[in-house]
Amino acid sequence: MATIEIEGRVLEVDGDGFLADPSVWDENLAAAIARFDGIQELTEKHWSIVRIIRNNWLEKGMAPMIRVICQQTGLKLREIYELFPLGPARGACRVAGLPKPDGCV
Amino acid sequence: MGTLTDPIKNKGLAVFEDLPDSRLITQLNSCVHCGLCAETCIYYLATGDERMIPARKVDLVASIYRRYHTVAGKLFPAIVKARDLDDDTAGEMVDLLYGACTMCGRCNAHCSIGIDIGFVIRTGRTMLSNMGMVPATLQSTVDAALVSGNNMSIPKEEFIDTLKWMEEELVDELNDPQAVIPLDQPGKRVLYTLNPREPKFFPLSIAAMAKIFYAAGESWTLSTRMYDVTNYAYFSGNINEASVIANRLWDEMSALKTQALVLAECGHGSAAFRWESPNYLHQKFPFEVMTSVEWIARYLRQGKIKLDPSRIKETVTLHDPCNLVRNGGIIHEQRYILRQCVENFVEMNPCGSDNYCCGGGGGQLAMSEYNERRIKIAGIKADQIRKTGAKIVVTPCHNCVDQISQINFHYKLNVQIKTIAEIVADALILP
Repeated sequence: MATIEIEGRVLEVDGDGFLADPSVWDENLAAAIARFDGIQELTEKHWSIVRIIRNNWLEKGMAPMIRVICQQTGLKLREIYELFPLGPARGACRVAGLPKPDGCV
Repeated sequence: MGTLTDPIKNKGLAVFEDLPDSRLITQLNSCVHCGLCAETCIYYLATGDERMIPARKVDLVASIYRRYHTVAGKLFPAIVKARDLDDDTAGEMVDLLYGACTMCGRCNAHCSIGIDIGFVIRTGRTMLSNMGMVPATLQSTVDAALVSGNNMSIPKEEFIDTLKWMEEELVDELNDPQAVIPLDQPGKRVLYTLNPREPKFFPLSIAAMAKIFYAAGESWTLSTRMYDVTNYAYFSGNINEASVIANRLWDEMSALKTQALVLAECGHGSAAFRWESPNYLHQKFPFEVMTSVEWIARYLRQGKIKLDPSRIKETVTLHDPCNLVRNGGIIHEQRYILRQCVENFVEMNPCGSDNYCCGGGGGQLAMSEYNERRIKIAGIKADQIRKTGAKIVVTPCHNCVDQISQINFHYKLNVQIKTIAEIVADALILP
């Protein structure tokens, strides 16, 4: 298994850079993973998306539908795609510390 | 002592037994090692690693056949380069047949004697699948589809909520309460399918297709029981699981008494269903099956929809999904559509049936362990896109869309990526 080093912590990740153990996630890690994706600083809009994804994961064990993210944040679909250039799955879900979703993403 | 026990090994070797015809054996005995296939393969071109040459992959499978099914291979394996099916061989097969092949079929097209190399690779994958050696990341997507009915395990109520949401947006946009997304309605002309990534994360393509159906006055429905166009068992090589998944769409067609099945923009899904499932299920289609690309082209030919090409000013290029184009023969329809959609369309070089794979096919997007390789081989596609100077890349495959999105980010191409339905919806003149 691959590893990444973030602020002195060595963490296991899968080949796509998703955390192997979602429970080690915290907000500092989220910010660091986002920087790998070219997001220098997570804004309040980014955080609102990340928190919904994280809570959905904790409650239901899966990433939320994009509808839930749009309706709870009031953001438009295109804004979400712009905020996370790698998209909701490889971008936002990875920042939120989830495992990589199955399927064509 | 290896971990491959005889019963496991025999399950793998079963692919060489009780064959219905000589197709496989002919392919395994025919390579003349001319080497033409090397320069056709994106893995070899991008890495220079000779193990990745298609003929070497064919020979890997053929060497096992020789070991167990030829006299020379049984008696003098070293002389005829016959290999035992052991841990080393199986490990190499996993790495090369799953991890270094997108099943794009470009080697097939250039093979000097016409070996169906893709078929041999799939047979090798079937061997590994029989032995329980499918990469866990790929199997997880197959399992999700088998257990939940769709490859992202989307719960039915969340699927319905998303479609209702898309429908509200469509009714608002078109200012017509008739602009609906019908669910589970029997007796319609068309049953449309989706790639689960659309409802989960990228629903604009659903709204786009609904808009096209609306403009064409189509009688159509989606099913909430079975809408998934994908079939990842086609990639894992497990024909039984591929049959189960394909059979669900057949069943849904008869349950809803629909006349035509229109497959969402999905290369492997089209291949697995339209071109392979009659073989899996040993029957002919009792209904019409078409990809949405052909279906939209038909609307244009019949004058059912009209497009305004002046709206899209940017230069547009087209990526040809291997399964749809090289393997499926759908080459002209997407070009016929695009020329009416946009003013400035440029081809990649090479294109059409000789196009390079995006690098995400064959299940690669699901298999995280080969991520680095996948991004590396995609450099070829990145160069192709960059040389066109296009600002929009259109491709009729959601898997290609995702891979090209990653290429776009990684190689800093700064392009927009759209499906055919999305660009048609942008140019659509509404009635």
